[in-house]
Amino acid sequence: MIEKAATCFADQAWHGTAAVVENVQLARNTWRIRVECPELARRILPGQFVMVRLAESNDPLLGRPLALYDTYPAADGHPQGIDLVYLVIGRMTRKLQSLAAGARVEIWGPLGNGFRPRATDHLVMVAGGIGQTPFPALAQEYLGLRTYGDPPRTVEPAKKVTLCYGVRSAEYLAGLDDFRRLGVDVRVATDDGSAGHHGFVTDVLRKLLDEIGPVSSPADDGQQRVPVRIVSCGPEPMMHAVTELATQRDVLCEVSLETPMACGIGICFSCVAKVRQADGTWDYRRTCVEGPVFNGASIVWD
Amino acid sequence: MTASVDLSITLGRLQLPNPILVASGTFGYAREMANLVDLSRLGGMIPKTITAAPRAGNPPWRTVETAGGMLNSIGLDNDGIDAFIAHHLPYLTSLGTPLIVSIAGSNYDEFVAMAARLDSCAGIAALELNISCPNVSHGVDFGADPVMCHKVVSGVRQACSLPILAKLTPNVTDIVSIAKAAAEGGADAVTLINTCLGMAVDWRRQRPILGNVVGGLSGPAIKPIALAAVYRVAQKVQVPIVGVGGIASIDDVMEFLVAGATAVQIGTANFYHPTITMQILDALPEAVASLGAHAVRDVVGTLKTKAAQHPAGACK
Repeated sequence: MIEKAATCFADQAWHGTAAVVENVQLARNTWRIRVECPELARRILPGQFVMVRLAESNDPLLGRPLALYDTYPAADGHPQGIDLVYLVIGRMTRKLQSLAAGARVEIWGPLGNGFRPRATDHLVMVAGGIGQTPFPALAQEYLGLRTYGDPPRTVEPAKKVTLCYGVRSAEYLAGLDDFRRLGVDVRVATDDGSAGHHGFVTDVLRKLLDEIGPVSSPADDGQQRVPVRIVSCGPEPMMHAVTELATQRDVLCEVSLETPMACGIGICFSCVAKVRQADGTWDYRRTCVEGPVFNGASIVWD
Repeated sequence: MTASVDLSITLGRLQLPNPILVASGTFGYAREMANLVDLSRLGGMIPKTITAAPRAGNPPWRTVETAGGMLNSIGLDNDGIDAFIAHHLPYLTSLGTPLIVSIAGSNYDEFVAMAARLDSCAGIAALELNISCPNVSHGVDFGADPVMCHKVVSGVRQACSLPILAKLTPNVTDIVSIAKAAAEGGADAVTLINTCLGMAVDWRRQRPILGNVVGGLSGPAIKPIALAAVYRVAQKVQVPIVGVGGIASIDDVMEFLVAGATAVQIGTANFYHPTITMQILDALPEAVASLGAHAVRDVVGTLKTKAAQHPAGACK
């Protein structure tokens, strides 16, 4: 059981305290916090994450992982900081919500592998709950609207970018305007029918794949442009269902896992997921340094 | 003024450039930290504990935050000694930082065989015997019984020429007797303490939060427990002590040194403050000098107590 998977240690990570620029509500229990951290913002890629904790406070003790929602530019156009979107759900996020402009947070990142820049005609992002947060940056990259990373990485633009977005109820839809403004084709599902399709987001995805029609995808580890590429983030049962659907339709599917994490940098071995190995067995692998983005087909879902 | 402070310390046969080490299981295999920390400044590195055979570890959840600390039940997830020697050791020995390899055998023979194997590898400064992991049953047995502790330490001592640290568990009635057994078995130092057995419950779902049900508590919450263990062993046993448990600042480090620890390990703080070791190293010379000392070793065990306290602590 040697290190088979590619590992992505905190090789560009910056660690320091940073000022909160603004902290605004987007939807029910859902907030966007803007943090000024140019060193980090310059380097971060879509799908990567940061660890955040309160500066000068040991309560809560551990940092919390939050995905890059987007970077924001300074006057000269260079990234000046990052936006993070979070659901208020526990002690840390309740305290985050109370922070005003000028407050300071401790932050380290960018962390994790992020989404690969694999070219596709049609990028399909499937989100459940708060799982839409890694996608605004990815959408902009694939629509040719913005670059990320240092040096900036270039991605062959997609012809179309779609977001399938499922939440409990319409009041939890967070950032819809952001996606629509970018030109993303947005398709919503709600558990209670208060917006969009009444039911699962996978129903919406199935309908979309029916519209697209049959495709065939080359091997996942290749570099060729693929007709359709699915990326998914949200509750595990949803990502499992998305992966199964994608496999049935021969579409490449990546999932961004959200496993309980203590350090974010690969030293605590908490955030493991069952990942299929080349020999067919599975092994617990750290999502922080080998993910959070994995080929969906490689995950052994419980 | 502070430039003249001598930071070097001695743990039996092991000499280290300074007393700031990092605890096993809290620093990966060092590669993970290479871009956040100047590894060459550390007094010593203790990579994640290795076992003879690969271990998948325990099912998630493996950690959960609790008041002032965290519980873990990682379960010694590691790829085994062969993979360690092939894939981690070349990197670890290239760093020039004293390398203390933490090993856990599932029985006496495994401890001895692993020690002998590592003895033949170049670049290892010492071994730390993890006879105290609460997440695997056999490990803790050696740390809970003085006879077994003595046996495994002396067995390893005979099987290899490397200095030996014995890492002990606080989950015992009398840690002093275990430390004494380790010292008599030939340990160059004892590491005090491993995590305290703990548990977290989700009462609404009527389930334990950890996949392994119980786990080990670490972080600031256990610092007073660790300090008491260091102090009590320092009073009773002639063996150098490496203090560990909730250390997260220069003040914490100095408390352990004054209480009787010759060196310390930074553990859980690496998780939530990845550059903490560098901050502590920056502050150490001035803190030592502030006590009028010119060497770290001169502040070790300088605690002033008015009278002998009841060994079991305050009893009302």
